[in-house]
Amino acid sequence: MSKISPILPEGEDAVISIRGLRNAFGEQVIHENLDFDVKRGEIIGVVGGSGTGKSVLMRSIIGLQTPDQGTIEVLGEDMVGRDEDEAKNIRRRWGVLFQAGALFSTLTVAENVEVPLREYFHMSTRLMDEIASYKIAMAGLPANAGPKYPSELSGGMIKRAGLARALALDPELLFLDEPTAGLDPISAQNFDELILSLRSKLDLTVFLITHDLDTLYAICDRVAVLADKKVIAAGTIEQLLALDHPWIQEYFNGPRGRAAAAA
Amino acid sequence: MAGTATMDGGADDSNCYRVSGALTILRAATTEREIAAMDDGMTIDLSDVERMDTVGAWLVYRATRDRGAKVVGAREKITGLLEQVAEADQPVKVIPEQRGGIMGLVEEVGEAVVDTGRTFRGLVGFLGATLIGFYNVAKRPTKRFRLNAVVQRFDLVGVRALGIIGLMSFLIGIVIGQQGAVQLEAFGAEVYTINLIGRITTRELGTLMTAIMVAGRSGSAFAAQLGTMKLTEEIDAMRTIGVSPVEALVVPRMMAAVVMMPLLSFYAMIMAILGGGIFTWIALDIPPLTFIQRLREVTPMTDLWVGLIKAPVFGFIIALVGCFQGMQVEGDAEQVGLKTTAAVVQAIFLVIVLDAVFAVFFSSIGWL
Repeated sequence: MSKISPILPEGEDAVISIRGLRNAFGEQVIHENLDFDVKRGEIIGVVGGSGTGKSVLMRSIIGLQTPDQGTIEVLGEDMVGRDEDEAKNIRRRWGVLFQAGALFSTLTVAENVEVPLREYFHMSTRLMDEIASYKIAMAGLPANAGPKYPSELSGGMIKRAGLARALALDPELLFLDEPTAGLDPISAQNFDELILSLRSKLDLTVFLITHDLDTLYAICDRVAVLADKKVIAAGTIEQLLALDHPWIQEYFNGPRGRAAAAA
Repeated sequence: MAGTATMDGGADDSNCYRVSGALTILRAATTEREIAAMDDGMTIDLSDVERMDTVGAWLVYRATRDRGAKVVGAREKITGLLEQVAEADQPVKVIPEQRGGIMGLVEEVGEAVVDTGRTFRGLVGFLGATLIGFYNVAKRPTKRFRLNAVVQRFDLVGVRALGIIGLMSFLIGIVIGQQGAVQLEAFGAEVYTINLIGRITTRELGTLMTAIMVAGRSGSAFAAQLGTMKLTEEIDAMRTIGVSPVEALVVPRMMAAVVMMPLLSFYAMIMAILGGGIFTWIALDIPPLTFIQRLREVTPMTDLWVGLIKAPVFGFIIALVGCFQGMQVEGDAEQVGLKTTAAVVQAIFLVIVLDAVFAVFFSSIGWL
């Protein structure tokens, strides 16, 4: 096994383990024979050109998209073909931040955070409100954001509120779909720092889809590259740079890539 | 792994709360109850805790904050978590503050009244903007008139409604015939069923039912389309390019509704009469020729005019309200739903109010 193989060597603790994944929409094949592992405790960035199926990969892992073929293991449990009740117990152990936040528009931010708590647990309203409060604070939102509706929030606040909801159940695994897209550089940097600090505080494994080169350099332990319907490589940026793949070279050695590396 | 640890947390005599195994969200409710049952100033012994999450940490932190509890035996990781939640301790309101009781009710009523007034004023303003739009288009028809858009709206509002409006009117014709026949039979006056069918469909129901159907089909569609375009900033984009949204979006829809309403209403009248005619033929043994002859004798031409004069006005109102509500959408997707509902409800309400006004008006000019 080379260092940049998407499959971890034996003995490593893989939180997500995908083998032989195939996804297709009609004639259009998105993934073919895709293998991929995510190590426990790491922040892994997933990159790839538009249309290479980054979001589809995430949706397959979290069970929103049923693959045509292949196995997906998350937290040691086989995800493909699970019935809804069993899947629910595994779902509770991860949190997802969707690209546009996907906050429930009829609920306030605090109520949004309480939705998963209500769904899975019976606890007193007081405790639930308190949990929502500190999650909102941990996501870096001010106290007055709690009773606001999503339509009253700015883009950055929506992402933070989405993050607070994703963290509601103390997940082991966090999926982030382009968390810094559409944020100004300062908010994006703050968000990066937030993810880093949450990871160290809460022992998270983070699966991060991003186009943001600064984010990749700043917080990712490893980067996985999606191209040619597969994860062609996964490793540190230095390891990837040593590869002779045109897309990778262009991506990291383009003007933006070099600017991010210099930062 | 979560939830597999065995837990035997509980109170012993010396006011010491000892938990072992996992202190996580899975036993949050139990832990909360157990801590509540302890005396103030308890000691919380965490030396046997193998796993803790922020919820467990919060419960312990809360006991130290509010109940004067002391924590012993916390490992480094757990101390870190306790610091985490202490740092994030900020009281947050879950829902916006609301006024309760009588004052709240008064406030709500007041808001509703102001809202209604604002909507009405907005509608009048929108009517003005639309008329200016029409004027601009009429002034330079070769340049401003969007034939494609108008024809497309004609198709959507008119042609595609033929099936459902035809079927509905046909059935209403049958219902009127049947209900009329049952009542009139008692007086041996079944033949007057034809009067009933002829006059009520041309004067009232043909136009009214069509208006309701158009409001439901097209008024709602106008509101939803414009509302979605507003959300996706398409309308702002139009403005910046220099295209007037009123001319490009509202005028074609208004024209379609105004032109199609009388045509659809006439078609609805014919279909209702057809339904009634077939019913009287089958149920009352009145042959079609007699039906037509009697229909011509008892239904004055003015009845048809009454129905057809109202139709374009109704169409205008439906399109106006639909487009107006669509343009009011702001914020989120939920608004599109709310405004679409408002468009249909207000359009039908206004149509019925106007219908009453027309009824009085036509009676007073002698078109009985």
